[in-house]
Amino acid sequence: MKSFVKTLSLVFLFCSSLLLQSSFTEVPDQKASFKMPYRQAGLSQQQAAAHLLNRLAFGSLPGQVEEVVKTGLEKWVVQQLEGSLPDDSLNRLLSRYEFLQLSNAQIAQKYTTAGEVVSKAVKEGLINKDSIQNFGPQERKTFVDVYIKAHNLRLTQELYRQLIEQKILRAACSNNQLTEVLTDFWFNHFNVSIAKTSCAEFIPGYERDVIRPRVTGKFGDLLLATAKSPAMLYYLDNVRSSGSGLNENYAREVMELHTLGVDGGYSQEDVTQAARVLTGWTVYPVSQMSDNDSIEKANEARLVKGGSVRDGDFLFAANRHDKGEKTVLGVKFNNEGYQEGVRLLEMLARHPSAAAFISRKLAVRFVSDDPPQSLVEKMARTFKKTDGDIRQVLITMVSSREFWDTAAVRQKIKSPFELAISAVRGLGADFEDPYPLYAWINRMGQKVYYYPAPTGFPDKAQSWINTGALLNRMNFGLALASQRVKGTKFNLLELNHYHEPESPAAALTAYGRILLPGRDLDETVKRLSPILNDPDLNGKIEAAVKKKAAAKPDTALVSDEMSASAGKQEKGEKKEQTPASRAAENRAALVQVVGMLVGSPEFQRR
Amino acid sequence: MVTRRVFLKSGGLALFGAGLMGGIPAFLAEAAARGKIAGPYQKRKIMVCIFQRGAMDGLMAVTPFTDRYLAEARPGLFMSPAKNASGKPLIDLDGKFGLHPAMTAFEPLFREKRLAIVHGIGSPNNTRSHFDAQDYMESGTPFNKNTSSGWLNRVAGLMGHDAVSPFRSVSLTASLPRSLYGDNPSVAISNLRDFSIQMRGIPKAVNFAAEGFEDLYDQTTSDLIGQTGKESFDAVKILQKADLQGYKPAGGAKYPGSSLGNSLKQTAQLIKMDVGLEIAFAESNGWDTHLNQGRDTGIFARNVEDLSNSIAAFWTDIEAYHDDVVVMTMTEFGRTVKQNGTAGTDHGRASCNFILGNDVNGGIVHGKVAPLAVENLEDGRDMPVTTDFRAVFSEVAERHLHISDSEALFPEWKGDKTGVMRR
Repeated sequence: MKSFVKTLSLVFLFCSSLLLQSSFTEVPDQKASFKMPYRQAGLSQQQAAAHLLNRLAFGSLPGQVEEVVKTGLEKWVVQQLEGSLPDDSLNRLLSRYEFLQLSNAQIAQKYTTAGEVVSKAVKEGLINKDSIQNFGPQERKTFVDVYIKAHNLRLTQELYRQLIEQKILRAACSNNQLTEVLTDFWFNHFNVSIAKTSCAEFIPGYERDVIRPRVTGKFGDLLLATAKSPAMLYYLDNVRSSGSGLNENYAREVMELHTLGVDGGYSQEDVTQAARVLTGWTVYPVSQMSDNDSIEKANEARLVKGGSVRDGDFLFAANRHDKGEKTVLGVKFNNEGYQEGVRLLEMLARHPSAAAFISRKLAVRFVSDDPPQSLVEKMARTFKKTDGDIRQVLITMVSSREFWDTAAVRQKIKSPFELAISAVRGLGADFEDPYPLYAWINRMGQKVYYYPAPTGFPDKAQSWINTGALLNRMNFGLALASQRVKGTKFNLLELNHYHEPESPAAALTAYGRILLPGRDLDETVKRLSPILNDPDLNGKIEAAVKKKAAAKPDTALVSDEMSASAGKQEKGEKKEQTPASRAAENRAALVQVVGMLVGSPEFQRR
Repeated sequence: MVTRRVFLKSGGLALFGAGLMGGIPAFLAEAAARGKIAGPYQKRKIMVCIFQRGAMDGLMAVTPFTDRYLAEARPGLFMSPAKNASGKPLIDLDGKFGLHPAMTAFEPLFREKRLAIVHGIGSPNNTRSHFDAQDYMESGTPFNKNTSSGWLNRVAGLMGHDAVSPFRSVSLTASLPRSLYGDNPSVAISNLRDFSIQMRGIPKAVNFAAEGFEDLYDQTTSDLIGQTGKESFDAVKILQKADLQGYKPAGGAKYPGSSLGNSLKQTAQLIKMDVGLEIAFAESNGWDTHLNQGRDTGIFARNVEDLSNSIAAFWTDIEAYHDDVVVMTMTEFGRTVKQNGTAGTDHGRASCNFILGNDVNGGIVHGKVAPLAVENLEDGRDMPVTTDFRAVFSEVAERHLHISDSEALFPEWKGDKTGVMRR
């Protein structure tokens, strides 16, 4: 990991600036077959583009609203639904993440925990059982480090760290923003958690192979793929469920959370019967570390002969399947082996309750916490008509008046992840190291990939906004603006085309337009005017910066931005009023203005 | 849309009892002047929960030392109260159970009948996964995975009065625990001193962002963000009045420098500030002792020493509030009766927990522990659960916090009281 981090930090990751270039790259012309009624809702093209970027993307890059207008709004949506815009700069960043190339089995072999290392070492006779008694924490750590190096292994913490980093990079940098938004959405819908150790190491593969390729496809395909994934099979315990030891967890959640919804019209008996249908759906042993002890590693031919089905890491183990007759939602299943489960999941995906439930959930994510029933019904109709074609459901959504209604625009409160990513995008930031941003996302209340419950993170304002979390959002704004979020770099002056605002009030207007395009900032400006126009403020700034500069020339605030652009630490002697120190004074104010914008009520909305 | 709390709901804002009158935020003084704060100052009951993550070996914390099966199953771990040369003896509680020798801080509390122990406590769900067992214990629904709220959050909702401040439910952790998930506002604070607008690196004299934020969040009073924003600043002001850094625990209490010690110290600070705290949550980690558990010294001994010293220091510190506070520990499951091949124990079923308070039926080891012969064990290996954790949790919540709707607190559960609370 050390060398990995080193290589990473040697190279500046200019994802956003490259992104701007690549989004100008021509892609094959796609004609939109739909119209979006934003004008009827009273929105200008710019406002509509800003709304799209707040909903189908993780916020806008500097200048991106104009770009989307230039591309054409409908065409931009089509491009996003296609998800195939060139992403060369992102791909270069991602090429550093080894795990993205590894299969589940390779990950299981490569990544291990300290605990596993010690127990293996005991088994291998490297450590005497009795001498463990005298093993201190430091000795243990040293031993684990040496063992790991010698066996070319890595610790699972590094895997999860990289997983988080790639998510941040993709969300912040990808040109195919809707793919990232939907990957986040569907992952959360079919939630699995690193907190559950048994499923954790399958999560990188789950997001990459199961979720991401299917985000705009058929819902039924997505459902089946999640059902067969090791991450889900472990997370909801179906991996152990058999005719003689039934486990209902997955069967319950697949109906309540994945398809029909809690009022979707099923009973406890349906849950039990569905669990019986799904007995034998388990994981093909991928490593000796897998705890799936009841299934012998057997050759595939023999498995198939016995009615078992192997598909990648998935295994339908015929000998664990309950062959008796079951009835779910009035439909009979009887001794069809693997096909019973496939048929059950198809039935659930096509159920009218699923059409309504999934449509509503999408509308909550993309439109409002309490979406109009008329919109949900339109989307559900498309869902039914197209056999759960997610792409078509989304087109219906953006073609609806409700999507553009003033009651919907800027009414969603950003989740902490959305807030962090939209801020980084708004500032056109580059990453030296994306990980420190995660500490803030976590502090604001969203430990991504670790949410323990199968419900996934709640998608409503109340769950994100509380006193502590809100304070952390404001502090995040200030930390980001003053370059205290390590590894995330941007140049505030460059953002404003190297035009230095004459006053804090001018800074508020200029950077407000950059960070909150298309928004009415009158109220924000009015609120802050008394403070920013305080005649004493400028004098105070000068005096304070002078004093600080005299006492301690190299303060974090003043030097960070400069060193970022100059590429080295500046050791200035600023006892005199020089152009450099004047600039620094203004920056102390500018940093706070930008910090306040990011932490403002308006920026919490999308 | 906003149906949250009313910061200044009648019922008495406790601030007034704490001699903070001179330094209270202007809005409070205003409200008081206008008679919005009705009623006399009234102390709130407070429940402090400590989750021991990783599954504590209840058989080592509180050992049924007369059990010869246990002695046989654990040749490397078993201790007795008999004084001998090879290590410190157990603290004999009642001739049957012995407290781990590192928990000397608990002995006087037990003798004073303020500390109760429930042995054989656990979940009816027999999962031995940390994740699932913690999830079930914290949601309070051991057979239902998708309960979205945590049991402590439901406690807050069932108290029958509005929160008087943002500090009603506080978790002294980095992020909110599962126990506090839900619609009743709760806040996670790992360090009270960080609960402010942080202007690091910005000269104090030109620090206008804090003021700016306050003005910004004042603009939309009617919606969620505006209202919560105001409450945030109120909360910040309350904490600013307190000298957090120079805090001196009362009664010469000495908190361990551990994370749990620190959490409980801050809990005591909140209690003494009278900011409306009613539910506090803290964590203790490192209980998953598969390897090298140790006996009278070692990992486990250090853990229980920290646990008991932290709780005892807290108890000393808050002496003036003893009638109002109850402390309860919990852990997701216990550990195997037999020691494993690496001088530790593996995941088991029942464990024990500790409850401390003036209204606790203390000085007793409650619960039922049958002789640990193989035929008495669950799956032939683990001490069986004889007391459902919900029986104890609901009794403590009901008696101490006066919550009567135990069905809403723990849906799907009906059961008898354990007698762990005296009143």
